[in-house]
Amino acid sequence: MTREEQVKAVGRKAGARVVGIATVEAFRAKVPEGHRPEDMLPGARSVIVAGGDGPTAGAWRCPDHRVMEITGYDLRENVAVHAMCDFIEATLSHRAIQAPSLAVHGHAPPMSMMHAAELAGLGSRSLAAHIILHPEYGLLYYAALITTLPLEPDPPLAEPACPHPGCVAMYRRIGTTPCLRVCPACLSGSVRDGRIERSTYDRERCHSRAQTYGIGSFQKALLQLVNEDHADKRSTMIHGDFFTRSVQALGFFRDSIAQCFECMRVCPVGRKYRKLE
Amino acid sequence: MSLPPNAAAALKAGALKAGALVCGVADAAAFDAHAPDGHRPGDLLPGAKSVVVVGGAQPRAGDWAATSPWVLQTMGTTERIQSVGRKLAQSIESELGYYALYVPPGTASGDTPFLSLMLAAQLAGLGSRSLAGPVLNREHGFMYWSGVITTAPLDTDAPDPAPACPAPPCREMWEREQTTPCLKTCPAADGGCLAGRLDHGRAVRTFYDGARCNTRVHTHWIGGFQKVLEATLNEPDPDKRKMLVYGDFFTRTLWAITYSSTNIAQCFECMRVCPAAHGLKEMKS
Repeated sequence: MTREEQVKAVGRKAGARVVGIATVEAFRAKVPEGHRPEDMLPGARSVIVAGGDGPTAGAWRCPDHRVMEITGYDLRENVAVHAMCDFIEATLSHRAIQAPSLAVHGHAPPMSMMHAAELAGLGSRSLAAHIILHPEYGLLYYAALITTLPLEPDPPLAEPACPHPGCVAMYRRIGTTPCLRVCPACLSGSVRDGRIERSTYDRERCHSRAQTYGIGSFQKALLQLVNEDHADKRSTMIHGDFFTRSVQALGFFRDSIAQCFECMRVCPVGRKYRKLE
Repeated sequence: MSLPPNAAAALKAGALKAGALVCGVADAAAFDAHAPDGHRPGDLLPGAKSVVVVGGAQPRAGDWAATSPWVLQTMGTTERIQSVGRKLAQSIESELGYYALYVPPGTASGDTPFLSLMLAAQLAGLGSRSLAGPVLNREHGFMYWSGVITTAPLDTDAPDPAPACPAPPCREMWEREQTTPCLKTCPAADGGCLAGRLDHGRAVRTFYDGARCNTRVHTHWIGGFQKVLEATLNEPDPDKRKMLVYGDFFTRTLWAITYSSTNIAQCFECMRVCPAAHGLKEMKS
């Protein structure tokens, strides 16, 4: 077993559905200085990306929208990344860190996990808010590690996962795709010769819909509370469901990552894994 | 796709290996007689046939023996059993090919859970309701629960015919004093939450003040945060506001919220005194 296979096996055993490798040099073309792997870990040579499962097929079928709103995510890719970091440091004697991915300025993370997943050959950007789709599994969640260990990289996808052949046919027929049709408010794009020709999305609008309960909703409600002069109204707002759910979401209590999945619900990539008995 | 004949047994073995102490399977249809509309397995997963329940991650013997109340107040956790539930859901889909829905922990709205995990544990034969409220397993006592609803028609377990509560010492205490350890430690008639009796050796709960219990069990959680926030916003004096915001109570509510998967409850008194709650295994001192 090669070192690459060893590391990937550790990640998969710890819960990753897929694992891919990129070199640090691959980030230089599109990533600004200060956000590259070597800016996080001096001497970095490789970035290893783990993709974890999103909602189960059963969760996609649940008619109660609140279930997906609060359990859209199972965090296993983070566990896989830590398991691989431990393996690299303990067994291969190279430094390894989890790549930082939480936003530090506005929506901008120190390192883009989406870009890392693309460079590691795990997926490509989609018409649906540029969400990275794995060609086999569709929507996955990504985490990455940066290491001084030199590894053979995986090539980026030869063929993009989006648009799916069914979407290409739909676009040819009626000039839209399932995701563009289900959310014309956030998404816009076009398909030409079977490839994405143009793709944009209204990030601010998408964000406010995808994360109705979380840090943003907490800040919104808090400002309204502070600005509300009437004590009884404040009390109603504080103890109401909206503020309560915002605080619950803040607490990570229920892995509350997103409250809108509609563009992914209609996406055919990886759908075969959502069709079970 | 048909299920392999040992599917339920293999799932249970996997659950125990992943960290559960017990695992059982309930018939999804069995909830119909007990759970309200909207909170039955089929309401969450169309075509639901079974509910797999895992229990474990309970306070250890050392936690119960700890002399500082802060140990259990800040370190009780359901996180470990929830990760087993999530793993089971993934296994059912990837290995058996049936839909599986991990039952979200917590509440759908107010105090109402999506699916009662205590009811699920009872129907899966893993325990029975105690006079104090929690479902107790006969061998391991008090534990935390997680559940997975699935369309897989798994072999189901029968409800436990012999309840863990009342334990023999509680029966003796009832004969002697007309009370039990849990009723005595938290009596509704004297500012507590519980009232009940033993009737021919069976526990009969006659009263439970859920609202009071909730405010005592979750003193530093989301409710505590909301309470201090409201008090702070209503406080006109900036110095007092500062004391409220930086005081221990508010600080602990923030710890509780940000560690909320870990920090489950701040009152365990009815379970602390329960002879059936700590399991049968003897510990060395």
